Amino acid sequence: MVPLPYRPSIRAVKLMDNRGAKAISKKMLDGIFTVFAAVSVVFFSLRLAAGDPLEILLSQGLATRAQIEELRVALGLDRPLFSQYLDFLRSLLRGDLGKSLYTGRPVISLIKEQYPQTIELAFSALLFAIGLGLVLGVAGAILKQSHIGKIAEFIANVGISLPVSFTGILALFLWLQALHWATLEALLLSLKDLLLPALILGFASAGALAKVVQSGLAGSLREPYMLAARARGIRPRWRFIWHALRPSLPPVLSIAALEAAFLFSGTVITETVFARPGLGRMLVNAILQGDYAIVQGIVVLAAALYVFTQALSEILSIILDPRLARQQ
Amino acid sequence: MFTFPSIFRPLWKAGHRVPFSLALLVGLLLSACSSMEEPLSIVYGLTLAPSGIDPHINASAELGIPLSSVYDTLIYQNPDSGEFVPGLAEKWTISEDAKTYTFYLRQDVIFHDDTAFNAAAVKANIDYVINPDHLSQKARFMLGPLERIEVIDTFTVVFHLREPFAPLLDSLAQVYLGMASPSALEEWGPGDYQFHQVGTGPYRFVEYVVNDHITLEKNPDYAWGPEFFNNKEAQIAKVIFRFYEDSATRSVALESGEVDIIGELPPQDAQRLAALEDFDLYPIPIPGQPLQYFFNVEVEPTNDLQVRQALLQAVDRQFIVETVFGAFSPVAEGPLTNDHFEDIVLDPYTSYDPEIAGELLDEIGWVIDEDQGYRLRDGEILALHLIVPSWGSNPEVGQLISAAWENIGAQVTLEVAPGFGKLREAQGEGNYQAIGLNFFGTDADLLRSFYSTDGLFNWSGVQDSRVEQLLTQASQATLDPDRRVKLYQELTSLIHQEALLLPIRDYVNLVAARSSILGLRYSSQGWFPYLIDLQFAP
Amino acid sequence: MILRGAPILSVGWLILITIVAVGAPVLAPLDPQQPLGPPLSYPAQASFLGTDSLGRDLLSRLIFGTRFSLSIALLASAITISVGTLFGLTAAVFPGLFDRIMLWASNTLLAIPGLLLAMLVVARTGTGLASVVFAIGIGGIPGFLRLSRALFIQIRSQAFISSAVALGGSKLWIARFHILPNAGPRYISISTIHIAWAFLGATSLTFLGFAGDPSIPEWGSMLNTGRSFLNQAPHLAILPGFAISATIMAIQSLGRWISHISDPLDAGWRSSQSGNRNR
Repeated sequence: MVPLPYRPSIRAVKLMDNRGAKAISKKMLDGIFTVFAAVSVVFFSLRLAAGDPLEILLSQGLATRAQIEELRVALGLDRPLFSQYLDFLRSLLRGDLGKSLYTGRPVISLIKEQYPQTIELAFSALLFAIGLGLVLGVAGAILKQSHIGKIAEFIANVGISLPVSFTGILALFLWLQALHWATLEALLLSLKDLLLPALILGFASAGALAKVVQSGLAGSLREPYMLAARARGIRPRWRFIWHALRPSLPPVLSIAALEAAFLFSGTVITETVFARPGLGRMLVNAILQGDYAIVQGIVVLAAALYVFTQALSEILSIILDPRLARQQ
Repeated sequence: MFTFPSIFRPLWKAGHRVPFSLALLVGLLLSACSSMEEPLSIVYGLTLAPSGIDPHINASAELGIPLSSVYDTLIYQNPDSGEFVPGLAEKWTISEDAKTYTFYLRQDVIFHDDTAFNAAAVKANIDYVINPDHLSQKARFMLGPLERIEVIDTFTVVFHLREPFAPLLDSLAQVYLGMASPSALEEWGPGDYQFHQVGTGPYRFVEYVVNDHITLEKNPDYAWGPEFFNNKEAQIAKVIFRFYEDSATRSVALESGEVDIIGELPPQDAQRLAALEDFDLYPIPIPGQPLQYFFNVEVEPTNDLQVRQALLQAVDRQFIVETVFGAFSPVAEGPLTNDHFEDIVLDPYTSYDPEIAGELLDEIGWVIDEDQGYRLRDGEILALHLIVPSWGSNPEVGQLISAAWENIGAQVTLEVAPGFGKLREAQGEGNYQAIGLNFFGTDADLLRSFYSTDGLFNWSGVQDSRVEQLLTQASQATLDPDRRVKLYQELTSLIHQEALLLPIRDYVNLVAARSSILGLRYSSQGWFPYLIDLQFAP
Repeated sequence: MILRGAPILSVGWLILITIVAVGAPVLAPLDPQQPLGPPLSYPAQASFLGTDSLGRDLLSRLIFGTRFSLSIALLASAITISVGTLFGLTAAVFPGLFDRIMLWASNTLLAIPGLLLAMLVVARTGTGLASVVFAIGIGGIPGFLRLSRALFIQIRSQAFISSAVALGGSKLWIARFHILPNAGPRYISISTIHIAWAFLGATSLTFLGFAGDPSIPEWGSMLNTGRSFLNQAPHLAILPGFAISATIMAIQSLGRWISHISDPLDAGWRSSQSGNRNR
């Protein structure tokens, strides 16, 4: 295929105007449907999963059987599954995620309470991942033959492969050792709350990102337009950023979007290793306690994030590389 | 306060911390702040961030640690003598049929929000607890067969019961039935009230930031504490509670000066701290049931008394306690913890002897099959399914029990149930030979739901009219403490004779505090400190 | 020479753990489940790596752990790969409605965080190694389906398939004798890399305590129990953690190498596109 010349981003926006509006509205419908389907799958699999949430709830209160049955009727948990499902969908449409059985509070406010912790971790991890991923990927592509390139590639592979349960524990171990030696203990103590988990989490994402950057860059460096740009006398740095790096970014964006959706919906293992509050821990507890409403709430959030970030990355990709719009 | 680039401002507000390069800076600032803290405040380390801290609604023991000092209760239990003494009620009378309790209230008490405390406030509290929409997890059930509350006059209130309920006084002495300001209850309602708690206690509730901290401040007006408090008013102006869920970091937090008091230390860390001059170790026994495992008498082969006896003797409880809990825990000897229920728990359990255990099994036909390495009878393997909860050292203890039973030729399947639901489910299916669960509590009536035929936690499946009768008598027929002790003694030896239970270890909470802090004492329940008695060494 | 550039270290490690897994009962010096003395003791003659937190021989547990961890991952992968290939191949051969349904279903399931999906399965079936196999096996299907479908479609679009169709070959025949064989090394490569993911997923679930019985020596559970003793005996966590990591890296580099020799430009990143979702 003959490469199309680059145009300013405005052109991409225009392209989207034509068939774009239709495509976007279709995407949105698709997305809403995906969220709906994911939530329904979870709704039914939760109810099929055994374990009576009421008995769990009252386990510490030494309730009697009669008291439990009274409560079941009061909460409407004795009604047929399908009518519970309809109720659930109805309140979901109103933007109401229901009430947590265990705390008696709206799921939305529970998520709001835990979410800042998840956001700060996810945001830091993502920032670090993108930075490290770009550096490793670029190094791996342009210094492919040298030791630096090989090392960069190796680090990326390590990042993808190592389980965070292990890297996290290793980091905690080193941190504990440092505590024994250091004098700035208060400073060190605060590292464990955010910096360590963010680095560990980000390192794993960085590996995946670096791989995509590297292979995309390797591909575009071989393209004939690089030669053409060189012939036109464009400065090397600009040539690299604008002509080589930019068109290799769309796949990077789609991976970054996946990573973002994942990170922002809570990271169970990292939170467990670092004993850190957040959505992931809340989710595990909710599954164990049978607090359905919380699990559903988090699934709605996770699925919506997934759909949203995917759509966002597609739009950004078209702005970065207008050729993609034609291909679609 | 310095300003952040605008892009970071929402994060700063939302999460109290800022990513990356800024984290270092903030870390420095934080460390500077903590060293400048005024001397009249202390930090108390809590061990888990509870899912809710409304004592009327939530059930965790953790919430009582701060809140026992925010609320007063109608009556108090003197931790030294175990007697019930006046609290917000000056005196009380119990009717002949033990169904009517009349409380005469103090007239000089005001809540932290200046609402007056009176009989109507008591009624408002109890009504709040028993409202089924409020989904109270513990407090509601502590009231037992309560029928209604009657306000006689401004300072007299009557509890009417449907049937006698001996544990009522014990319940009313706990923070879960502490007295909250009726106007605050009404203003905030369940869910939000936990962030705006108002009581009458020696400390007032300042704020609760989920997952982060709870702050209490001295109540200068406090003048109605029970007589066994050492101090008339709080000596420390401010107490901040922080959460340390990761057990490995608790001692680190204490040694680095981040906290002044912290509980539930791992035994190895506790041992190390005990040897240091700067810290004092307080091993606090927690009354209730020991870490325990019930034999299922409804299934093969544990329906046979002799099998159960053999399994008891096969387990080296001393070794288990030393391996898992170190030096600070007593080996349990009955269905209730020894320290608090010493009158009830009398005879010690049979000692460890795997050979006798083997002989007992040989006698009844369970003989080792050399090919398979297991005991067989009529071609059937001696198979045991042991289910243990995932919390409170149960998995570790379960593994050692399972190894011990394997050792005498049983084939053991160990299952760790990751939540209460799985335990209940297993109980419903009944396909286990042994299962673990234990609760804490200060009244022996705790045993009822575990041994009564239709008890919710009757894990043994025991159906014994003698047991039933003892339990009913002890909770309904008499309020006389001595008579109750006699009844529970009888029950305990029945459980013992029938080999229904494998008790392992009485719970001890390992608390350590900076030695400059004096006066740390705990209520009868073991978890709850009397913050009013804390003070700094002169 | 076809073996040029083969990851010798990785292959060596994989051969080693396979031997250890098969020969565990012979190789392990002691019973991995019976305590032999005080906990957390240092390496001594009786016990080469010392004892774990419950006084059991650590080396024997690590050796038996090889067997459990490896077989969980392999069984789970067997489920994923067989079901995923079946659906992927069918979707590629019947491009109409079936393909769209498959694609849509796997997209929907991918919108649910993977660990959550696996945990829901375990919540249904109860904890235990069999549940972990099942959960990881099922949970991997949507991702593997997408990868294998893409690969099969790419092959289907090549000229020799058109000629097979022109010759009047049935769809089943084309799938069996033309698409599948020609997927060759790349199919093996994505399958191999999938095993690494399954290994990671399985050890993550057992790390979270879903193995049911913690006395079963399994690397993920051992890592989980070991982390409480980072102060006193860090090797309890670090050794099983290292074993898990080394195995994952070895399987992946093997997969990348296969992919590289079959398609030098692709460099294997596509296969690892699904990324590490067990965090």
